[in-house]
Amino acid sequence: MTAMSLALILTAQVALVAGQVFLKHAMAATTRPTAPRGGMARNLVAGVGMLTAWFLLWMGLLQKLDLSFVYPFEGISPLLLVIAAWIILKEKLTLRTWLGVILIGVGTALVGMS
Amino acid sequence: MGPRDAHAGEVAPPAAMAWYLNPYLHLGLNGFLVTASEILLKRGALATAQVGAPPWLTSIGIVTLGSWWTWAGIAIYIASFFNWLHVLRWVPLSIAFPLASVVHVLIPLGAWVFLSERVAPIRWAGIALIIAGIWLIARSVLEAEEAL
Repeated sequence: MTAMSLALILTAQVALVAGQVFLKHAMAATTRPTAPRGGMARNLVAGVGMLTAWFLLWMGLLQKLDLSFVYPFEGISPLLLVIAAWIILKEKLTLRTWLGVILIGVGTALVGMS
Repeated sequence: MGPRDAHAGEVAPPAAMAWYLNPYLHLGLNGFLVTASEILLKRGALATAQVGAPPWLTSIGIVTLGSWWTWAGIAIYIASFFNWLHVLRWVPLSIAFPLASVVHVLIPLGAWVFLSERVAPIRWAGIALIIAGIWLIARSVLEAEEAL
């Protein structure tokens, strides 16, 4: 169960992060009048699709595994997301953001453990 | 900031934006909306836990729709999604998403206050770490706003 479960948990986190990146792309385009509307709609649909995949994967995992096993992995998502925002969205990150994200990640894992 | 080919999150919100549209106000509101919806959904699930139904029906959670608590939870969850989209228009994702982790603080606190659930010591420790992380990131945002 463990290797398969871990792979599914990681897939779910990647889907969550990808969904947020698509949504951000779509919504950032609304602040630029020159951005093509078609691309915005496509990104919005892709974002909602990815978040739906994340939700279904997560519900499937919760059916088989204890919440206290699955929930701590939520702590990985802020870190994954910030890496994606840095590489894909080219957002500028300060040292403080990285430190804050690590604290939030560890904190989330602890909240989920009990 | 002029209309250049800025990347996601680099466009500053218009200075004349009404206070109730402020993206950081909506980011704060998001934590409360998500928390309220989770607590309402839990109330709905508890209220319908005794309903007799075949196991295949209970396993997909359909019976929880028999409670108004569940519908209120769904309505607020949908509101939180549109509220999040407004946040993403202006706030960099690398700021908005970590700050939205405040739900991992608010949900246990809400469950403690409204559902009488117990908060274990390790969970209090996690809550403290999350608050410290949020404070670090929020402080850079406040300093950047002041510098403008």
